[in-house]
Amino acid sequence: MGDQNTPLTISTARHLLRRTGFGADPKRVADLENVTRGAAVDEILDFEPTRFRPGGRDIEDVHNNWIKYMVRVRHPLQEKLVLFWHDHFATSDQTVADPLLMRNQNRLFRRNCKGNFKTLVRSVNLDPAMMQFLDTVRNRKEQPNENYARELQELFTLGVLDLNGNPNYAQEDIVQIARAFSGWDYDRNSLEPWFRSSRHDYEADYPARGPKVIYTTFGQFGAGGSAFDANGEGEAEIDTVIDIIFEHRDSSNQNTVARHIARKLIEYFAHPSPSTAFVDAVIADSDFDTNFEIQPLLRAIFVHDDFYLSAATPGLGTKKSFKWPVDYVVGTLRQLKMKLKSKYQYLAGGEYDNVRDHLSDMGQVLLEPPSVFGWDWEEAWASSQAMLARFVFARDIGMARESGSAALRPLKLIDRSLTDPAQIVDAVTELLGVKDDLSTAARQALIDYLGPGPIQWTDDAPNGWDTRNEKIHGLFTLVLQSPYYQLH
Amino acid sequence: MAMTRRDFLKRAGLVTAGSFIGPGVLGNPFLRKALADTIGDRYFVVLFLDGGNDGLNTVVPVSDGSGTLRQDYEAARESNGSGGIRLLTTDLASTWIGTDPGTGAQLALHPAFRNATTGGLHRLYQEGHVAVVQGVGYPKPNLSHDESRGKWETADPLGINGFGTGWLGRYLAANYVGTDIPAFCVRGSIPGDFAQNATSILATSRLESFGFPYDDWYPGDWAAHENAFDALYTEAAGSAQALLKYTGDVGRATFDATQLFPQLHTQYATDRSSWSATYNTGGPNGTGTSTSRNLREVAKVIYGMKSGLFPTLNTRFFEVRKGGFDTHSDQGGAETTGQHYRLHREVSDAIEVFYEDLEDMGVANKVCIFVWTEFSRRIPQNANGTDHGSQGPALLIGGTVVGGVYGKHPDITPSVVENNDGNSPYLQGPVSTPFRSTDNRDVFGTLLKHWLMMPAANIPAVLPLDPTGPSYDPMDYWQTANFDLGFLP
Repeated sequence: MGDQNTPLTISTARHLLRRTGFGADPKRVADLENVTRGAAVDEILDFEPTRFRPGGRDIEDVHNNWIKYMVRVRHPLQEKLVLFWHDHFATSDQTVADPLLMRNQNRLFRRNCKGNFKTLVRSVNLDPAMMQFLDTVRNRKEQPNENYARELQELFTLGVLDLNGNPNYAQEDIVQIARAFSGWDYDRNSLEPWFRSSRHDYEADYPARGPKVIYTTFGQFGAGGSAFDANGEGEAEIDTVIDIIFEHRDSSNQNTVARHIARKLIEYFAHPSPSTAFVDAVIADSDFDTNFEIQPLLRAIFVHDDFYLSAATPGLGTKKSFKWPVDYVVGTLRQLKMKLKSKYQYLAGGEYDNVRDHLSDMGQVLLEPPSVFGWDWEEAWASSQAMLARFVFARDIGMARESGSAALRPLKLIDRSLTDPAQIVDAVTELLGVKDDLSTAARQALIDYLGPGPIQWTDDAPNGWDTRNEKIHGLFTLVLQSPYYQLH
Repeated sequence: MAMTRRDFLKRAGLVTAGSFIGPGVLGNPFLRKALADTIGDRYFVVLFLDGGNDGLNTVVPVSDGSGTLRQDYEAARESNGSGGIRLLTTDLASTWIGTDPGTGAQLALHPAFRNATTGGLHRLYQEGHVAVVQGVGYPKPNLSHDESRGKWETADPLGINGFGTGWLGRYLAANYVGTDIPAFCVRGSIPGDFAQNATSILATSRLESFGFPYDDWYPGDWAAHENAFDALYTEAAGSAQALLKYTGDVGRATFDATQLFPQLHTQYATDRSSWSATYNTGGPNGTGTSTSRNLREVAKVIYGMKSGLFPTLNTRFFEVRKGGFDTHSDQGGAETTGQHYRLHREVSDAIEVFYEDLEDMGVANKVCIFVWTEFSRRIPQNANGTDHGSQGPALLIGGTVVGGVYGKHPDITPSVVENNDGNSPYLQGPVSTPFRSTDNRDVFGTLLKHWLMMPAANIPAVLPLDPTGPSYDPMDYWQTANFDLGFLP
């Protein structure tokens, strides 16, 4: 059993870095060996969120500028979190159709990425992109629109069912919460939220809709439920509703929001299907169920033993996770110190496709999640089309041989004094973080691919292309295509 | 992508060496299916009309019957001026089908479903191979394309189950494993009705180009690269770690597909070159249409299956999409240059060519084509088009499909339409209800039970019943008893 005072090993340090970032720099891995989990995590969490907002007039540019930022950002955990919140509060420009609103929402997620979750939810309530996406701006007293009220509970805070499989709310709660959000809009010039009293559903106007009480059945408030006009009707209701939701308790009498969010963060950063004990432990360690501060919750996750279940060599008890396409692409570029070219952010090899096309083939176009449910994770990333897209990306990386930082430059990544094929395979798989995951036979297959040593690194072969160097490019492509590299 | 198709004999060599496809990897599909719900030797093709096809101008009342259908149709659809989209009874004279089971009114297909040369889809109807199911929709219709399509694809219209999977995907997940490729979608990504994560689905617009991405600058290395790739994925497929094993399986299925599927293209193009060419005829320019060419991709796989030349191939489910049905403006009526006419004509001609190809291959009795759209359009027309609406007709085509008209025409009397946002009401009730519409899950359930041979008891795992309770209207309910709509024996 370990805790925050447990020293990191090479393998656990690598795991910590690649889950809190995109790939792991071997130098950083080496630096963290023997540092305690707690000290390493504190250092990773010690950053002030930047005010970055991806630029661009059309959504493709915004997308590519965000990717570009992920490739160069100093604190990758920040972008890993923005990506998480983008998936959690999934909003698509295909519906919003306004890149400026999407850019602003992206900055909102960045500013709040590890702050207070309740503050974040309140900000999202009145975020113009979200108000457009889930129809808050079309929620009028005559016919309250239930879209946001449903997703607020189902996706953003409570979940349909608790960890025991019992419902967290009833349809009537959706209907009532929709009333609280009626009348909210935003000013089309300043983009500031705007409460339009004349469009709000006041009880006096619609007595037939009943008292503004929610959770009379679920939520452990008792048969009387909780009244969301307790702090006065109108403008105050939207915040009161959030206060009540954050007091909701599940059928185990635990804070429902805390468990829902902690579990999802664990699934994102660690592995699918975490135990309830793991979820409850990180909540207890961080008091997330009372303060809703994200940073202490993250710390509790990153020092917990179960977080490191994925770090081990694949075996029966190992909990691996399938890399998101963005993680696959950005992590590869960061580890190989490669940059994308031009405003279109294309990869300078193979088909010369831009990064958005690569990601689209892999099943993840940022700012256009497939639905309000966000992306499907894990095995869902692994369709044949999406796998082939990764193989194509890996091939294009290997074929990127222009000069400069857009090229794959093995000599800048691997010690050229290595001439033994086994040593070169070890160095490349170490660089890409899969060395410990390879079975003996898999490692041997890569060694056999390189052929007999010694490997010559010279690049003055008679035909202009040194065969051995081609092999090393091919080795990088193979490792990036390998099943091991798809997981982390 | 140059030179991506690999030599089949070389692959066969690898098979013999046991390094790639060994016993127990693909398993014995017949053994597995004997234990499961099985499609047997049949095929299932989904044709999705994307954008919301105007059902009222697809299956059109020609007479009133015992009600007022034709009058109501003429009240809703204008005939005069450039914006008229009404189909006159004279326009419909050669595309009559059966009568409406509800009112007895004579019905006809849009005139584009008949072509003067070969007869089109209407000829297939006359030969008894087309079932028209009227008023197919779902409770609480949503007029958003995305939402409505999602409700069809998940078969979870009330959002109760929070499915991230499609109804066909759930069927496939229950019957196939990661190394199988049971389905091929002729498009860039996997559509929502096929979404799942237990088996492999090929999504590509052209089989010819689904090749493995080799390094074009280094062809001398391809064989070595392939060997190493095979070894890595074979190792992973044998891992004790579940996700690594899954990744190994899917990677191998994908690699297999890159080796196998481009060959299906070649085999078909060689053996059936004259049939291949027929898909290039018709269409506004006489060069075929995207729908005909996409259906040809399906035909290539079916031919590959039928020919027996590809023993590892086991792909029986397909999806083709035809977009452009979002006819808010310039929809047109019976004139052959009209937008809706051209859309229907493309679908009709493409299905006819495909069907003839299947007949020639001897498999027309083994194929069922299901044509659907996310919603029909508004009953009253706007200036010269139609806005989003709710339920509409679906089509089923195949040699063993029991041709005819099923379901009842929606109620389009002006008073009813006005009170329902321009849509006809969605009334889900007993079959005896006049103007009963058809729940799309009744259609899916009938397909699962009568085409995919699922025992009725297993169907709720794929199509869960709506919950009961005070929050739900009686109109939300549907029952497994409805899974016998009759369009399949």
